[in-house]
Amino acid sequence: MGIIWFHIRKAFTLFRSEVLVLPSRVAVLVFVVALLVLPVFTQDPYLLRVLIFTSVFAIFAASWDLLSGFTGQMNFGHALFFGVAAYTSGLINVHFKVPYFLSIPVGAFAGVLTGLIVGIPCLRLRGTYLALTTLAFPIILMGLVFSFPDVTGGELGVMGLETLARSRIHVYYASVISMLVLTSIMWKITDSNTGILFHAIREDELAVRAGGINTTRYKLLAFCLSGFFAGIAGGLYAHIMRTVGPSTLEVSLSFQVIIWSIFGGIASIYGPVAGVFILFPLAEVLRAFPKYRMLIFAILVLLTLIFMPQGLIPWIRDKIEKECPRCKVRSIATRKTCRICAASLD
Amino acid sequence: MKRSSVFGVVLLFLTLVLCSGFHAWAADPIKIAIVGPMQFTQGEGHWNGATMAAEEINKAGGISVKGTKRTIELIKVDSNEFLSIPDATNAMELAISKHKADFVMGGFRTEAVLVMQDIAMDNKKIFLGCGAAHPELCERVTKDYDRYKYWFRITPINSKHLVAVDFILLDMVAKAITKELDIPKLKVAIVAEKAAWADPMVKIAEGKLPQMGMEVVGVWRPSPTATDTTAELSAIQRAGAHIIFTTFSSSVGIPLAKQAGELKIPAAVAGINVESQKDGFWKATGGKGDYGLTVNTYARVKITDKTIPFFDKYLERYKEAPNYNAGTYDGLYLLKTAVEKAETLEADKLVPVLEKTEVTETAGKLVFTKDHDVTWGPGFVTAIGTQWQDGKNLCVWPNGWQGVKYEGTVEYKVPPVMVEHYKKKK
Repeated sequence: MGIIWFHIRKAFTLFRSEVLVLPSRVAVLVFVVALLVLPVFTQDPYLLRVLIFTSVFAIFAASWDLLSGFTGQMNFGHALFFGVAAYTSGLINVHFKVPYFLSIPVGAFAGVLTGLIVGIPCLRLRGTYLALTTLAFPIILMGLVFSFPDVTGGELGVMGLETLARSRIHVYYASVISMLVLTSIMWKITDSNTGILFHAIREDELAVRAGGINTTRYKLLAFCLSGFFAGIAGGLYAHIMRTVGPSTLEVSLSFQVIIWSIFGGIASIYGPVAGVFILFPLAEVLRAFPKYRMLIFAILVLLTLIFMPQGLIPWIRDKIEKECPRCKVRSIATRKTCRICAASLD
Repeated sequence: MKRSSVFGVVLLFLTLVLCSGFHAWAADPIKIAIVGPMQFTQGEGHWNGATMAAEEINKAGGISVKGTKRTIELIKVDSNEFLSIPDATNAMELAISKHKADFVMGGFRTEAVLVMQDIAMDNKKIFLGCGAAHPELCERVTKDYDRYKYWFRITPINSKHLVAVDFILLDMVAKAITKELDIPKLKVAIVAEKAAWADPMVKIAEGKLPQMGMEVVGVWRPSPTATDTTAELSAIQRAGAHIIFTTFSSSVGIPLAKQAGELKIPAAVAGINVESQKDGFWKATGGKGDYGLTVNTYARVKITDKTIPFFDKYLERYKEAPNYNAGTYDGLYLLKTAVEKAETLEADKLVPVLEKTEVTETAGKLVFTKDHDVTWGPGFVTAIGTQWQDGKNLCVWPNGWQGVKYEGTVEYKVPPVMVEHYKKKK
């Protein structure tokens, strides 16, 4: 009993000294709680549907960030992982009656394999060449989809997938909890030694290699991990939609994920998540101005990128928090001294 | 205060109360969501057709439900389905759960309509399809009636029948050429845009044309967005084709028609060319697309008594001829008839009534098949064939086909450049 009490007290102390002291962490806490309790206040099917898609695309955007944001491997064809997993989940669910709780992980595994297949030829490429090569892969796969319509369903795609859950609330919780868990895992990965190496590869690959580290292995690992998480997003999407079609491989989807991520702030995981949670519902709000919807959307994104080149979330974070020049720990902007080492923050 | 003044104030107060409560007395309007790609010509067609019908019905008092006249309130919902499938599903959900639509109508891209159909079925909402031609949408009704019974297709005829019309038109063109130029065996170039939907069409044409006594001289597959087709046309000319059999839904239909005219290729252009259904085709091709033939839905021809008034009114109001998505016009009138017969808006009670409803609207007699598809054939909806003749897109088919000939139909004309070429050769 004493041990339990000790851990509760420890957790509470940690919560008070590490979460409540920083506005960004409080914001994340409020966001998570709000998402989890939302259905208690409203069960509006339209709102829930928008948030379901937002959650799925948040996983997808974070998976792009894990690869392109952290390792700098600019992937312009990220829809490939999403589409491969969606088709894999859909095909095995429809043809072999594999239930969704297995078909989604199998789809994610197909995403990992795709990561390997794409990663190997892309290892020696950089910059524009890498971007264009990755862009080509989903287009090639789209060609295959249309070439074998008996298997892939061609233009119509695969239909009649098992639904993720009978009620909208269940689908909502399945997607939101998946998003929270998977993005936390991705964030943990980027915070680990592996994540630091990913970061280092982006900054100076030659220096990392000179340090005796096999960068090829880490770059491939990034492709596979990214493929895995994007694959789960693809599998979830397939079972939510109950159909998978060529639109899951479209170039526009690959570009959309880049816009979401850069808008939110790359190399952070939470930035792309926030980007999707702002931009996807915003596109719905802008339905009020149907003629100018895309124009307003484009102008807003453009202005954000002009005035906040690091992305919206890092910009806000820099306004409300300060980093200690000595110990690098962040404190609320109103503090004059660092909350850890008491160094002056001005 | 005088007694008369008190009386006046009370009277004024009562009048104000009655006036403010007036709306509560009127029956609620029937909400119909028009869901389509509103930033594109297809969505505009959906909206324009529905707007015209709704205004006419409302002007006449509305739809009578159990003796109460109820007006129609249209809700414009942009599905953006060409660019985003999730957008399309959100739009459908918005129409049903936020706007509380009683009925939904529209849809164009099959992949999107399939998902939108599921949402409408989940909510047991009657969805009148006005745009997607794929048979699967109606086959779902047969496979799982209880779930998909709320779906009905108004326009176009399904793609299997579109193919049938396409080959009937080809046969008509072949007969006209043979009759006028006395060519023993006609050579046909199959030109289909490089898109999935056109693949089966190419396969069918390759098999069917020899059976029809014609020779296939080659298959050309330009990009749907190609702006130059001179290479294909030169090869077609060298192959000695008499007919260029087109399967186009995209912009490539314009450069091919224009360049075939510029190169004075002695061949008849016939088949599916969606671009040549539009009024802007003449201007876009600088008149060089003259004598091109395409499968179509509307022309200024008396398919029924309602077609020409509808066509003229549409042309006057929107400065263009209606495209087939404007079949929402017929959809609304069909709904009016069915609701008045069923005396209810309840989907489950309305479905059996809709199944039995027979109405003659602008595109023909609307009667549903068992799988809730629009019936194709003589006496029902036939579709039409239109040919550009000196700047006018005129109906040339059906012209006696199975006893069907619409008033205003003209004879198909073999392109003069072809006549000149082959007569000179002789």
